[in-house]
Amino acid sequence: MTQDRREFIKKSGCALGMLTLATQIEHFGLMSALAQKVDAQGETNAPSDYRALVCIFMQGGNDGNNTVIPNHSDATLSNYADYSAERSARGLAIAQNTLLPIAVPRMNNLTYGLNPNLGTVAGGINNGIHELWAQNKMAIITNAGTLVAPMTRAQYQNGSITKPFQLFSHSDQVSQYQSGRSDTFSFTGWGGRMSDRRTPADNPGGLIPMVTSINGAQLFTAGQTTLPMTIADAGTSLNTVLSPQGFNTSAESQARLAAFHQLRTQDLTTNNYIREASHITDQAIAANSALATFQEVTVTFPGTGIGSQLKQVARLIKKRGDLNINRQIFYVQIGGFDTHNGQVNTQSSLLSQFSQAVRAFYDEMVMQGVSNNVTTFTMSDFSRTLNPAGAGTNVGSDHAWGNHLFVIGGAINGGNFYGVNTSNGTPYPTLVMNGPDDADSGSNARGRWIPTTSVEQYAATLASWYGLNAADMPVVFPNIANFPTTNLGFMQP
Amino acid sequence: MNNRKTRLKRQILSAGFLVFLLAFPILAQDPNPDSPTPILISEPNSTRALVTPNGNSRRGNVSEIQSGTFLPNSKVVFFVTNLDLMDGEGANAFRVNVESANGRQYRFPVLDIQPVKGREGVYALTIRLKDELGFWEQPLLKGDFLVSVVWRGLASNRVHLTFGKIGKSNLIKDDAGAVPTPMPTSSRKFIRDIEPDSVGYLYSGDRIRFMEQATFGPTSELDTRIRRLGLRTWLAGQFQEPYPTYPYPNNPLMPTGVPSDCDPICKRDFYSLYPLQNWFYQEAFYGDAQLKHRVAWALTELWVVSGFDVSQASWMVSYHQQLSKNAFGNYRDLMYDVTLNPTMGDFLDMVRSTRSSPNENYAREILQLFTIGLFMLNQDGTLQLDANGNPIPTYTQDTVNNFTEVFTGWTRCEVTGATCPNRTVGAPNFKDPMILNQSNHDVTSKTLLNYPNAVNTTIAANQNGATELDQALDNIFYHPNVAPFVSRYLIQQLVTSDPTPAYVGRAAAVFNNNGSNVRGDLKAVVKAILLDPEARGNIKTDPNYGKLREPVQLATNVLRQFDVQSAGGGGQSDGYVNQIISPMGQNMFKSPTVFNYYSPEYIIPGTALNGPEFGILTTGTAIARANFMNTMVFGQVNVSTNAPMGTSIDLSEMQALAAADTTGNRLVDALNTKLMHGTMSAQMKSTILTAVQAVANTNTLLRAQTAIYLTASSSQYQVQR
Repeated sequence: MTQDRREFIKKSGCALGMLTLATQIEHFGLMSALAQKVDAQGETNAPSDYRALVCIFMQGGNDGNNTVIPNHSDATLSNYADYSAERSARGLAIAQNTLLPIAVPRMNNLTYGLNPNLGTVAGGINNGIHELWAQNKMAIITNAGTLVAPMTRAQYQNGSITKPFQLFSHSDQVSQYQSGRSDTFSFTGWGGRMSDRRTPADNPGGLIPMVTSINGAQLFTAGQTTLPMTIADAGTSLNTVLSPQGFNTSAESQARLAAFHQLRTQDLTTNNYIREASHITDQAIAANSALATFQEVTVTFPGTGIGSQLKQVARLIKKRGDLNINRQIFYVQIGGFDTHNGQVNTQSSLLSQFSQAVRAFYDEMVMQGVSNNVTTFTMSDFSRTLNPAGAGTNVGSDHAWGNHLFVIGGAINGGNFYGVNTSNGTPYPTLVMNGPDDADSGSNARGRWIPTTSVEQYAATLASWYGLNAADMPVVFPNIANFPTTNLGFMQP
Repeated sequence: MNNRKTRLKRQILSAGFLVFLLAFPILAQDPNPDSPTPILISEPNSTRALVTPNGNSRRGNVSEIQSGTFLPNSKVVFFVTNLDLMDGEGANAFRVNVESANGRQYRFPVLDIQPVKGREGVYALTIRLKDELGFWEQPLLKGDFLVSVVWRGLASNRVHLTFGKIGKSNLIKDDAGAVPTPMPTSSRKFIRDIEPDSVGYLYSGDRIRFMEQATFGPTSELDTRIRRLGLRTWLAGQFQEPYPTYPYPNNPLMPTGVPSDCDPICKRDFYSLYPLQNWFYQEAFYGDAQLKHRVAWALTELWVVSGFDVSQASWMVSYHQQLSKNAFGNYRDLMYDVTLNPTMGDFLDMVRSTRSSPNENYAREILQLFTIGLFMLNQDGTLQLDANGNPIPTYTQDTVNNFTEVFTGWTRCEVTGATCPNRTVGAPNFKDPMILNQSNHDVTSKTLLNYPNAVNTTIAANQNGATELDQALDNIFYHPNVAPFVSRYLIQQLVTSDPTPAYVGRAAAVFNNNGSNVRGDLKAVVKAILLDPEARGNIKTDPNYGKLREPVQLATNVLRQFDVQSAGGGGQSDGYVNQIISPMGQNMFKSPTVFNYYSPEYIIPGTALNGPEFGILTTGTAIARANFMNTMVFGQVNVSTNAPMGTSIDLSEMQALAAADTTGNRLVDALNTKLMHGTMSAQMKSTILTAVQAVANTNTLLRAQTAIYLTASSSQYQVQR
C-alpha cells in the first residue's frame, strides 16, 4: 500500500505544489487496504456530516483538586472547609471567594467551584470557559483515571484486581491515557486505532490523514496501519508548514526535486529505519500538496503555545471541505503541569492559557458553524496529591491518580458532572487522606484518589459519538468489557 | 560497609588502570573489524530452509535431517554456518527475522545454539515458531515465510519456511540472486584470513562509522589521524585529552529576577542559554576531546535538566561540568555529583524537599530514568518475567517515599566562608554543591531497594543526612539493573537503536567489572561499546541495524564533513546554529521535560521497531531536516548581532571534483565515501547523478550543492548504520 503512494509521488514529483495535484494525489482514505478489509460493517457510504475530536493533553499532571473544588458546606460530602483544611495551611488552597461557581445537578444541585483562572482573567481576550457551563456546552468527568477494571480501595490494597502498571509514573500514565489500556504496553493509541477502523469508510478521498498532531509524535495518534500528520502550530502558515524549501521552476531545480522524491522509493528493504524515515517524509510531501491554500480564521486566538496550536486546528477544520475530510481527530498539548513546586503561580498561568485558548477555539467553531460538530476534551498524566509538597510560595503537590477532565462543545449534555459514583454515592471523591477513596493508607497517606471512571469509559463515550461501531469498540478499547458502563452519557447522540 | 574506603579503593584501581593504558598505547592493535556473514542452510536443491522439528536430531546424523512442514509455536532447529563465535557468545547474539507474503515482519525467539556433531563450523539454532514482537497477531497456520538470521549486525541469506501444506500459489518470491545453501558435507569452520602486518587502521568504511559513533562527525583530518593511529590508540588518547578545548562560558551568577538595567544583550548573555549553546556547537565543530563531548552529550540526554526551568547559562554550565567531569569517570561519582548539583536540585525539587514537606520528584526520577528503570532486567537488558509472563517492577510507591525521605534537608550553598566559594550575595548559588541542613532531614529509618545481595536495603534511624545519601546511592548503584540499563542506553546513543541482548550483555559485564574489579567505570564501558564486534565492521546488513541521526548529530556530521567555517569562510564558526537545528526537534539544553527529547524505548508507529530518535521525526520535522540542508548547502548563517562570525560550509573540495569530472561520478563517489561509507546503492547513485547532470557542467557550485543536498537530505543518509 505504501508502495502505491510512493509510486504516485515518484511520477508526480515535478508537479508538486500544483493545484491539480490535489485531485490526483492518492487519497489517504484509500491508503489503508488492511483497514478497509477489516471494516466489519462493510459500510460504503461516507457520513453526511462533519465530526471532530480535539484532544488537549495537559502534560505533567494537572492538579484536579485545585481545578474543580467543592464550593458548598454540605456536611454529608467533602465541602470547601474539608478541602481548605488540607491545603490552606501550606498555602495551596484557593480562596473560596475567588472560585467560579457552577451548579451541579448530579451533586444534589450543590455548588462547586472552578479555578478562578478558567473565567475572566487580567489581560484576557475573552471570558474563558467558565460561562460555557451555564450554556450547557461544557461538562466535567470527575475522578477519572487509568484502570484495568473497576477497583475498590479494599481491592487496591489486597491486590485482587490488577492495577494499571507503574502508577504515578509520568511516562507510563501518559502512555496509558493515550493508548487506552492499562494492563499492558501498547504499540498504538486509541486515536490511531479509531483512525484505522474509520478512515476508509469515513474519509473516502481524504487528502490528509484522519489524525493530526500539532504537538509532535504522540502515542495517541499512532495506529497500526496509518500514521498521523504532525505539523507545527499556527506560527507557521498551513501552506508552508510541510513545504520543502529552496526549489524553483528552473530545470535544474525541478530535476533535483524529482530526485529528492525518487530517493524515497529506494533502499526500502535495505534497512527498516530508512523505510520508516521515507514513509514519514512521504506523508509530509503528500499532505503538503493538499495544504497549498488556506483561509485564515476569524476569531482572535491568544499568542500562547496552546492558543497557536488550536488556531492551527481551526484552520484545518475550516479547510475540511477541500481536504475531503468528514471525520477528524486532533491532538494538541499544554505542558508544565508537573507542579512539584511553585504550583499556585504556575497552574494559574497554565489554566488561564488553557481557558483562553479553548474559549477562542469554541468561538471560532461557532463562527464556522460547526460548534455542534467539534468536541474538545482533556486528558492529563494524573492528578496530584491532596497533601501539598513543600509550603509557602514554593508549595506544590506530587503525583497522584483520579482526576477531573473537561469536555467542551455543542454536542455535549453540558452543565453537569459525569462518571461512576465513588464510595460516597456521588462521582466526586471524598477529600480525606487515608479516607475511602485514597490509594495511600496509614498516617503518611497523601490523598491519591482511586479512579471510579476509566479512561476507556471516557474515551468510548467520545468514540461512540464520533461514529465508532459497537462492534469495533472492543478492538479499539480491548478492556472495555471490564467496565459495566460504556457510555457515560455526556454526549448527545 | 565503609563507603569511603570503597570509593577510595575504586579510585586507586581506576588510576592503576589508567597507568596501564598510558604505558602501552603503542601495543594497541586493531583486528579486522568485519565478522563473517552468517549463512542459513537450505535443502540441497532449493532455497527452503533445512529445518528439523526435533531438537534431538542435531546430535544425530545430520545427513538424515528431513525438512517438513511445521505448526506455529512449535520448537524447531535451523542450521547456520560461517560464524566466528567468541567465548560465551550464545543464543542471545542471534535474532531470527521473518517476513510473510503480505509483508508483515515477525521475530522468532532463539532458544539455543549448539555446535553440530561431525560438522565443525555448523551450528544448530533452536527457535520457537512464535512471534516475539507482538505487533501483528501470530502468523496464520498456513503460509510461506522468508527467514533470515542476524548476528553482529549482519544478515544471512533468506530461506523459505512453510507452515502447513505448501502450494505453489502461496510461495514468496525468492530474493534476487538467492541460491541453495546446502549443508556442507564436511567441516566448515570459519578461518580468519591472516591479518596483514600493517600499522594503523586501513578499513575506510569502518573508520567513517567509528567517527560517526565516537565524535560529532568525521572530518578528513580526523580520518587521516585514525588511519594512522588505529582505533585503540586514538581512544587511549581521547581518554587523556583535556576537556573542553574551548573554555566553558564563565558567566557570573545573577539575581533570580532580571535587573531593570539588563538590556537585551545582557538578557541573552546571562538569562538565556545562548552562550552555552554556542559553546556546545563550537566544541562539537572544532574541539579535540570529541569523545568526551559526545559521551557528555549522551549523559545530558539521560540525566536531563531543561532550560525551560534552568534560566541562566551559568546554572546550566555548572550542571554540564558535572556530566563532562564524570563522562570517563565512575557512574557512582556521577550519581553523587549530579544529586548534589543545585541545578538538578532545582529542576527536580530536591533543593526544597524537607522533613516536614517532602517532595518525591527527584526520588522517583533517579530510579526510573537515571539508574535502574521500572522493571527488573536480565544482565543482557531483556526483561525478567514472573511466572505469569509479566514484567517485575523494580520498586513501589513505598520505595519512592523512602528515598524521598533520604533526599530531604539539602539546600543551596549559601553560607559564608570556604564552604561555598562561589557564593554571590543577591544571587542564588547554582555553582557549589548543595549542603545539608540536618534539621530539615528526615531521620526516621528507611527501607530502600531490595535485590539479591542488596547493599543497604535498610537505613537506620537518626543518622546524618550525608551518610544516608551515600548509603542510599550505594543501594541504587549496586542494583543489578544499573549495568544493563546504562549500557543499553549508551549503545543506543552511540551505535544502534536496538542492539542484540548479547551486545548489551558484553557492555554490562564491563560495567559490572572493568577487569580490575571496579564497577561503574564509564571509560571502560564506552571503550567496550565502541570496540564491540557488533559496533565494528565496514558494512552492516541487518535491516534493523543502526539509528536515525538525531538533529544535533545530523547537523554536526554534515557541517564537520564540509569543514564548517565562518560565513563566507576565512575563520571559524561562532557556533550560533541552535536556531536552525531547533526546528528539527532539538533545542539545545531545552528538552521539553525530564523525559528528554525522545524516549530510549520509543517504538516507531506502525512497526514494532525500537527507534528512539523517531520520537522526534514527524511529517513536520522530516521536512525541517531537508530544509536545514537547504539552509546550509545553498545558504549560510549570516553575520548578525547574535552571530559575530556566522556559519557556512566549504564546498571547494566538492566543486573541484565536479570540475575534474563532468560526468559527476567523482563528485557522487566522494559523497558516497564521506557521508555513506560506501553504502550508496546503484540506483541512489544513478538518481543523484541524473539531477547533477541536469546542471550545466560549468556550474560546478550548483552541481556540488545538488549532490550534497540530495545525499544529506536522503533517508539513506539520515540513518547512521
